Amino acid sequence: MTEKRYSSAEDEALVRWSQKGDLEAFEELVARHRDKIYARAYSMMKNEEEAIDLSQEAWVKGWQRLAQFQGDASFATWMTRIVINLCLDQIRKQKRQQTESIEELDEESGGVERQMPIFAPDPLAGLERAELRKEIDKALGQLTHEHRTVLVLHEFQEMEYKEIAKAMDCSIGTVMSRLFYARRKMASLLAGLKKRD
Amino acid sequence: MNEQDLKLQAHFDGELPEAEARQVMSRLARDSDAVALLHTLKSTRQALSTFEAGIKVPETREFYWSKIRRGIEVAEASEARVQPVRESFLFRFRRLLVPAAGVALIVIAGMVLTRDDWAGRRVELETALADSKAFTYRDYASGTTLVWLSYPAEQENSAGVGGTID
Repeated sequence: MTEKRYSSAEDEALVRWSQKGDLEAFEELVARHRDKIYARAYSMMKNEEEAIDLSQEAWVKGWQRLAQFQGDASFATWMTRIVINLCLDQIRKQKRQQTESIEELDEESGGVERQMPIFAPDPLAGLERAELRKEIDKALGQLTHEHRTVLVLHEFQEMEYKEIAKAMDCSIGTVMSRLFYARRKMASLLAGLKKRD
Repeated sequence: MNEQDLKLQAHFDGELPEAEARQVMSRLARDSDAVALLHTLKSTRQALSTFEAGIKVPETREFYWSKIRRGIEVAEASEARVQPVRESFLFRFRRLLVPAAGVALIVIAGMVLTRDDWAGRRVELETALADSKAFTYRDYASGTTLVWLSYPAEQENSAGVGGTID
């Protein structure tokens, strides 16, 4: 089997070959989708090393569970679910109660709301894409794990409220309030750019 | 945050039932703060949509894959070690299961054969396991007991000898 054959094959064919034990076909799948899986892990963890480790672990698990892939969703979507679950497990292990309880109080008391007036203008207009990504990266890093997780699961993974509630073992109401807080905080942090400029 | 803002967010996310969605639309028609909030939610979503597209794995293809391949090899080696243990356990379990099932069948057969049925008629069959040449039949309704003894062919006829006891 030549390298050229794998690179021109569709994902469905590569998955079929991989399911029969063709590791080279699986390597091609990894090459195609590694950035997306890594990016999802990085969005969740905000740490390069952890994101690399978790994304690689996700690929190993993907290989082991290939027989379970039925094609209901795309292969990339299936893999993102695996890496998301690994990230959630890792976050649970790392949970820092003290810091998060302070954030939760702030969220419940509306602390962010008092500091963050509602505004209409678009604070992000005119920013270069790379600069914008850099600033979003910084802003995401300033959220707690809980708030960042709900934001990533909703905005990137496109999960519904009830799916997020199940994944995070909390109520739908908690998902809604965390999502609202995370969005407003992101908007506030990004609005700070415009003022600096 | 208040309940109205959360409903507006749910409406934006397509998670609000239709009746409540109409209330949100009505609010948006008269409340400029609600409009501004909606705009903020849209802008944030738009900004986030471009975020992951620019993220690349900070390792070469070969290096990144080499660690995955190693992980797969380790996982498969670990599975191979566990598999023989599982198989020998199943094998041992099966060795106990067959005789246990045999005993259970004998008990069930005994219970079936000694039960009261057939309009009160009770019949009992008995074989003396120690001496497989003896067979006893008892009919309690008629008070009949039949004992069948099988003798060696050279002593009597090979059909055996039976007698009834009333």
